[in-house]
Amino acid sequence: MLQYVNVNIDGATVRAPRGTSVLDAAIEYGICIPHLCHVPNLSDIGACRLCIVEHVVNGRSKVTTSCTLNVEEGMVVRTNTDKIRRLRHNLAELLVAQAPNSRAIQDIALRCGVKEVRYPFRNEDCVLCGRCVRVCTEIWQARAIGFVGRGKDRHVDFPFGIRPDFCKQCGNCVQICPMTIPPCDGPMKPGEEYLCGKCESQLMIADETPGSCVWCLLGEGFGCGRYVGV
Amino acid sequence: MQPQALDTIMEGRRSQPNQLIEVLHDVQQNYGYIPKEAIESVSQGLGVPLIEVYRVASFYKAFRLKPSGKNVLTMCTGTACHVRGSHLLLDHATSQLGIKPGEVTPDGLFSVEHVNCLGACALGPIVAENGSYHRHMTPAKLRKLIETLSRQKTEDAHHAKAQ
Amino acid sequence: MPRLNSYRELEHLRQRLREQRQNITTTVMVCGGPGCQASHSQAVIDAVRSELSSQGLDNSVRLCVTGCHGFCEQGPVIVIEPGNIFYCRVSPEDAFEIVYQTVMKGEVIERLLYEDPVSGKRIRTEAEIPFYKAQDQQLLSKHRMVDPHSIEDYIVAGGYAALPRVLNGISPEEIISEIKSAGLRGRGGGGFPTGRKWAECMEAPGDEKYVICNADEGDPGAYMDRGVLEGNPHLVLEGMMIGARAIGARKGYIYVRNEYPLAVKNSRIAVEQARELGLLGDNILGSSFSFDVDIARGGGAFVCGESTALMASIEGKVGEPRAKDVHTVVDGLYHKPTTLNNVETWANVPAIVLNGSSWFASKGTKRSKGTKILSLTGRIKNTGLVEVAMGTSIREVVFDIGGGGANGNRIKAVQTGGPSGGCLPLDKFDLAVDFDVLAEAGSMIGSGGMVVMDEETCMVDVAKYFLTFLQDESCGKCVPCRLGIDRMLEIITDITEGRGRMEQLDLLEELADTVSQTALCGLGKTAPNPVLSTLRYFRPEYEAHIKEKKCPAGVCKALITYWIDPDKCTGCGVCISGCVHEAITGEKKQPHIIDAQLCQKCGICRSECKFDAIQVV
Repeated sequence: MLQYVNVNIDGATVRAPRGTSVLDAAIEYGICIPHLCHVPNLSDIGACRLCIVEHVVNGRSKVTTSCTLNVEEGMVVRTNTDKIRRLRHNLAELLVAQAPNSRAIQDIALRCGVKEVRYPFRNEDCVLCGRCVRVCTEIWQARAIGFVGRGKDRHVDFPFGIRPDFCKQCGNCVQICPMTIPPCDGPMKPGEEYLCGKCESQLMIADETPGSCVWCLLGEGFGCGRYVGV
Repeated sequence: MQPQALDTIMEGRRSQPNQLIEVLHDVQQNYGYIPKEAIESVSQGLGVPLIEVYRVASFYKAFRLKPSGKNVLTMCTGTACHVRGSHLLLDHATSQLGIKPGEVTPDGLFSVEHVNCLGACALGPIVAENGSYHRHMTPAKLRKLIETLSRQKTEDAHHAKAQ
Repeated sequence: MPRLNSYRELEHLRQRLREQRQNITTTVMVCGGPGCQASHSQAVIDAVRSELSSQGLDNSVRLCVTGCHGFCEQGPVIVIEPGNIFYCRVSPEDAFEIVYQTVMKGEVIERLLYEDPVSGKRIRTEAEIPFYKAQDQQLLSKHRMVDPHSIEDYIVAGGYAALPRVLNGISPEEIISEIKSAGLRGRGGGGFPTGRKWAECMEAPGDEKYVICNADEGDPGAYMDRGVLEGNPHLVLEGMMIGARAIGARKGYIYVRNEYPLAVKNSRIAVEQARELGLLGDNILGSSFSFDVDIARGGGAFVCGESTALMASIEGKVGEPRAKDVHTVVDGLYHKPTTLNNVETWANVPAIVLNGSSWFASKGTKRSKGTKILSLTGRIKNTGLVEVAMGTSIREVVFDIGGGGANGNRIKAVQTGGPSGGCLPLDKFDLAVDFDVLAEAGSMIGSGGMVVMDEETCMVDVAKYFLTFLQDESCGKCVPCRLGIDRMLEIITDITEGRGRMEQLDLLEELADTVSQTALCGLGKTAPNPVLSTLRYFRPEYEAHIKEKKCPAGVCKALITYWIDPDKCTGCGVCISGCVHEAITGEKKQPHIIDAQLCQKCGICRSECKFDAIQVV
């Protein structure tokens, strides 16, 4: 029997079953909390830190990821304070500076208010969100890929770097990857490093209504709750 | 790679995934590194997915996935050693031997590693070589140490040839 | 030895062992701690042992190989009781004289005594040496007469006296109440009130609970836990037994980092011996309390000092921390309630049970009680492990105990708390060693590492050093730590290589603030501290690197040049033959010259030159 609790998110009372994360509850109600490593029906690891919110307890607020925070009766959460917006902006800025050549990553950056990037651009092709690993482990149970190495050296790989014969070749890892949607013309050319401006429509919405959904591409293919049922 | 050694290591630990790190320590001690075949056997023996064993072996610095050199020079790069100039030692070792930390010289004689604190901080900078600690090291002393170790190997090789 | 089935049997054993030792007239303690080992004390131990044997003194003189005495700089160290005679820098050749003169004839060997650098006088006893006099060795003194491989030594010295008390007579709630009133706070870095942690764990639902001893001691420059665990493993075990009794755990682990093979060995021996006597296992000393301990080894990962990563490691997984919205006292090892405490925290417990909470709370400050072991290292005269009462000022530690700057250099700063801590300048040295005082100043006690820095230490380089360390040790899971530290390091590297711009300092501060607020675990959250504290107190050094492209301390290679002073150079040629980059030229007896283009500033020439002729400009 599902037990429901009432949670206060940004002043609105949201009803959600116990065991749901604050992120899931918010998205269900149309409150957009930007996220990257979260995928419905996969476990949440709190790696990208984009979904941070302020959890207010006894008058003090703690910054925590909403995907790992489970709803409790009477919980008070704020998703869009100035502090959270600034922190999210800085995190998204780090991400896009690391891997700009992905439409989804650029969308997220714009959604989080990033206009200019203050770090030299790099051209990595993986942001270590772990979506591929989790879909392989949890949905297909193949366990053909995983995170290996540590810190700067952390990357996704097959055991010993060779595709094992128990890889089911389902292609889900590629489909769910945020890097597989290139913007327009491919990798940034040296000397022309700036945020791709082709997502201009999103840029205007993100500017004018900071809290609302910008229909970023992450939602379209990858199952953001906003898109469920659309 | 001898399968018997692995059997001994796995004794009493089969199907116990939480023994993974202890098993890998024993494998490392036995073979000097973690061979591919060992990872596969351990995966089967403990019931841990192959990618997980590979993951643990690659996460922890204690485990090497490739064989090391005959003489492993470990430079301590802890804070106390650093303020006494341990970075100069690391720079010197890599330049004199021509390899980066974690690599092995082409003749298999030396590998250089660095560790973030050996716990003998009062006497830094420390270089550990094959179990012994050398204290108050300077680039000059390190150069002599490397030369001594190289000569030893040549002498050993001559001895072996003579016999 | 037969199993002890009751408290009385333990006391009888203690009595018997003490009686057996009544024939011992002299005890010779040779330090086998980490520092003295590196000074080759093993050879000294072997020499003394063989000398005692050849003089037929095996029955009347006890040779005790002990854990760290603390004065590592002066090792190998020997202390002889009775008389408290302290010999330092002992070599194996001295063994004959020590046994013949001091042990047999009671005469002191002047040249082996410690020479006070200020008065020039030789000091006879350990207690009178300024290094020791200024300390308050509550914990470190406990293993002075104890061989870590001998449970008998521990019992003779009064150990395992607190354990029986908690088995009969005091309830778990009372134990926790004592720890709470004592005001003991975690010694591993967090400073969390121990009594409260134990209470929360005891109250957590579930029958299966664990206690863990965190001996991962990853802070570079810190080796206090190594000293205590290697030197007195039974003290730590006894603390864990008391804790397990209080919270209701039946199983415990000591997680020792891989780089401490001796600590692993000594802990294993201690556990075996405790099991043999029945102090671990079922129905300890005839009570209903059953408890056992296993040793788990680390794999070489600093991040495994973090509680959730450590527990994952014991479970055989990678040491990746998880979010702590539910605390480990409720959901810890194997998802069971777990109490994880540092080595030193556990080591403090038996004395609190024996002497009472008011005894413990009588030392220290209002909110930081007891004593703290510090690992005092870096650019001072007296390096080693020291123990002081909380509330002692940094100045006292660095100057009274540490003896001031080595090589006559001016001391500039002290770094406390490891990579999570910060640097404090000389004008803050009146601050007390106290959890809250140091935290407010932008640093922290941390695990107790205290690295002293002088005018030849570049503070920007120190920030770079810690960021490099943390980048190496980060598990890599979360964005702020993995990418944030990387970018902070990129900016600082720019600064140390002459490419810094003033606006980068603002970005550095903003990024540091973001990382500290959004990182998943303590490693990431505290990673910005070294950067922030050096920016706060040593901003002029940063500005010199940026505006003048100079490194005032002479460390950052891109901003310095090696130069031979022609007035000091004697033309001996030692540097030329030492230079692996062939950057020095010069005729015999003529001043030599360094070609700045070829010079890689590797430091060999400077360390070889006996005339101090090579300067850094």
